[in-house]
Amino acid sequence: MTIKLTRRLLLGATLALGFAGAALAEFPDRPVTLVIPFAAGGSTDVVGRIVADKMSAALGQQVIVQNVGGAGGSLGAGQVAKADPDGYTILMGTVATHALNPLILKQKPYDPVADFAPVSLLVLVPNVLAVNPELPVNNVQELIDLAKKEPLSYASSGNGTPLHLSGALFNSMAGIEITHIPYKGSGPALTDVLGNQVPIIFDNLPSTSGHLKSGKLKALGVTTAERAPSFPDIPAIAETLPGYETYSWNALFAPAGTPPEVVTKLNEAAKTAMADPDVIKQMDGFSTTIVASSPEELAEHVKAEMAKWEPVVREANVSLD
Amino acid sequence: MELLSNLGLGFSVAGSFANLAFCLIGAILGTLIGVLPGIGATATIAMLLPITFQLEPVSSLIMLAGIYYGAQYGGSTTAILINMPGESSSAVTAIDGYQMARKGRAGAALAICAIGSFFAGTVSTFLVAIFAPWLTEQALKFGAAEYFSLMVLGLVMSVVLAHGSIVKALAMVVLGLLLGVVGTDIYTGTPRFTMGITEYADGLNFVALAVGVFGIAEILRNLEDESETREVMTASVRNLWPTREDFRAMVGPVLRGTGIGSLLGILPGGGAILASFASYTMEKKISKNPQEFGKGAIAGVAGPESANNAGAQTSFIPLLTLGIPANPVMALMIGAMIIQGIVPGPSVVTDQPELFWGIIASMWIGNLMLVVLNLPLIGLWVKLLTVPYYILFPIIMAMCSIGVYSVASNTFDLYAVAFFGLLGYLMSKLRFEPAPLLLGFVLGPLLEENLRRAMILSRGDATTFVTRPISLTLLLMSLGVLVLVLLPAIRKGRDEVFVESEG
Repeated sequence: MTIKLTRRLLLGATLALGFAGAALAEFPDRPVTLVIPFAAGGSTDVVGRIVADKMSAALGQQVIVQNVGGAGGSLGAGQVAKADPDGYTILMGTVATHALNPLILKQKPYDPVADFAPVSLLVLVPNVLAVNPELPVNNVQELIDLAKKEPLSYASSGNGTPLHLSGALFNSMAGIEITHIPYKGSGPALTDVLGNQVPIIFDNLPSTSGHLKSGKLKALGVTTAERAPSFPDIPAIAETLPGYETYSWNALFAPAGTPPEVVTKLNEAAKTAMADPDVIKQMDGFSTTIVASSPEELAEHVKAEMAKWEPVVREANVSLD
Repeated sequence: MELLSNLGLGFSVAGSFANLAFCLIGAILGTLIGVLPGIGATATIAMLLPITFQLEPVSSLIMLAGIYYGAQYGGSTTAILINMPGESSSAVTAIDGYQMARKGRAGAALAICAIGSFFAGTVSTFLVAIFAPWLTEQALKFGAAEYFSLMVLGLVMSVVLAHGSIVKALAMVVLGLLLGVVGTDIYTGTPRFTMGITEYADGLNFVALAVGVFGIAEILRNLEDESETREVMTASVRNLWPTREDFRAMVGPVLRGTGIGSLLGILPGGGAILASFASYTMEKKISKNPQEFGKGAIAGVAGPESANNAGAQTSFIPLLTLGIPANPVMALMIGAMIIQGIVPGPSVVTDQPELFWGIIASMWIGNLMLVVLNLPLIGLWVKLLTVPYYILFPIIMAMCSIGVYSVASNTFDLYAVAFFGLLGYLMSKLRFEPAPLLLGFVLGPLLEENLRRAMILSRGDATTFVTRPISLTLLLMSLGVLVLVLLPAIRKGRDEVFVESEG
């Protein structure tokens, strides 16, 4: 029995190696699966689907989007970390999967650095601090002053998300304590702020931009160090609280051990996709900055992000089992 | 008249040849995936999103919307024929619809569904057209405290759902609540009852639960006593059409279901499911023959089916007027809009009137197409019942597995189907009803989430539930329903005491 099994394993291994060799020669010779670690319809999903569509053209093979949502992105990321390192399974990583979750989770399902081969940092997504117009404040300083006088609450898309931590960082830098109200995703959080059930929200700029333009929400500041090009009238929070900076990002990762030639091919396809005029227009439309970096730059970026969030996570005292 | 000119604009957009074609494609696709158990609109729309890149924004949204309400429609077909809710919102239809089918009245049940859905779809489409902005404002008044009180009302009403022992119904509600607790606590991030399985971190899958306790359990039961029940079903399916009495019996439930569905559909978070449960409860409560419910009552099919279709239409209101998704399908629609370069939000009505009114007009056209498509198909669907069970049941099981897996690509959902299939079989042996369990499962997590959110927002002051007028009204209504349910029980109790002392 044991012998048989071993023989079968050997045969399997030989076959696998054979296939791997073939794959190296002419990657990609079959469809590539892009795992999106969140449910369909969110901003990461939208970015992923746009990119997958254009990468399919660049690679000459279909890039199929698969949503593996759950556990704040950890499920999908963990699945890609364990996938065959052949470039046929890649991940749309985010600040959550590659900086926050590894810092927050007590049980770590994967190592964001050792388990992945970085491909390309695609986009940066600014977050925004917005309030219901009925809250009597017009800028960040007035909000801080009000928070010192009376108890306030802010809504976010969930516990341990970049938006929750943007608020936590804001609290700690301003020396105030606005109560965090987590929701299951950004949609319901936004609903309650529009209805003035909760007066303040930290959210992605793309999902709030429609409400900012119509005046249903009032933006106090963007979370990036500089003002966002799409909303030059909204000051950066850093103009009031120097050094304040948070943003969300999306980047492609392959499993660690993916051959460098394959990573290069994927990187080139991603760069081609992000240079497409349609993509530029779409990303611009929802206030997202295109980066399209090299694999090395993404590797540096992940390290920098982990270093930046580590003290915030520690100070906000967020930890999940 | 502004409304007329707006509707005129809408129909001119939706009535173009290309848009009619996309509406038809959407409706047919939706019906198909609705009929296939487990394969939901969410998965289908997600898969079709890339195709819509190439289309005009209006055409792509018209097609996606068609898939959504087509699926609501088709979902009831399998619920009635094989007790397998194709969509979560048709779980209620399965209760009495399947019983009608067992009595050889599958054709009538399907026709009632089609006609009721069409009526509800028509009325609610006009509601969307006339009241959308105003209704949205009302929905925004629902904060955490109001949602909590609404869920309390829902839970109280769920006891009425049961036919038979109230104690057993309560036990099922509690079991549902407990199952609903599985997953990560959103306030502290602590995993609860996940047994260390990361795949359950976001809770158990509703579709897996519904397919298990209704569908798989039914298959197990059928395999046990195949010969007798199946013969009854196939022997007397000659009468495809509802009789005159059937029509008379469905008018009231359809009207009430449409009202309830339109209202609850606007509320974000499972409005359509809640609507069908609420309508069923109401019909049972006001019926002159409540004992018929669960044994094939026409009102038990017509009411919930109208309610869930009306809810499906009005759930477009928060999407179109605020850019806020009421459910996962609506979230996908927002994704589709963003990809098309339309920023969802209040400005869509004014900036893109042809999009807004075009979609609304297409919803009515789509509903008309569905009824025209489905009425002739009823004969075909009913023929499915004559397929030998040993061929039918493996196909059903395979379709279910594929469907459930497609929701989240999660193998653990399949283990859940198997487990809940066995649980459902056990429950039916012990005469426990699955419907209160499902309702507890849906409402429990919402109840807890909103209770805790309301308490955090009020800084621990529990009077928030009675000082807010909408919340207070809902709580008083729950109290009223409770009294109505308990009164007969108390009276009956006294009667029994009387009988015993006499004897």
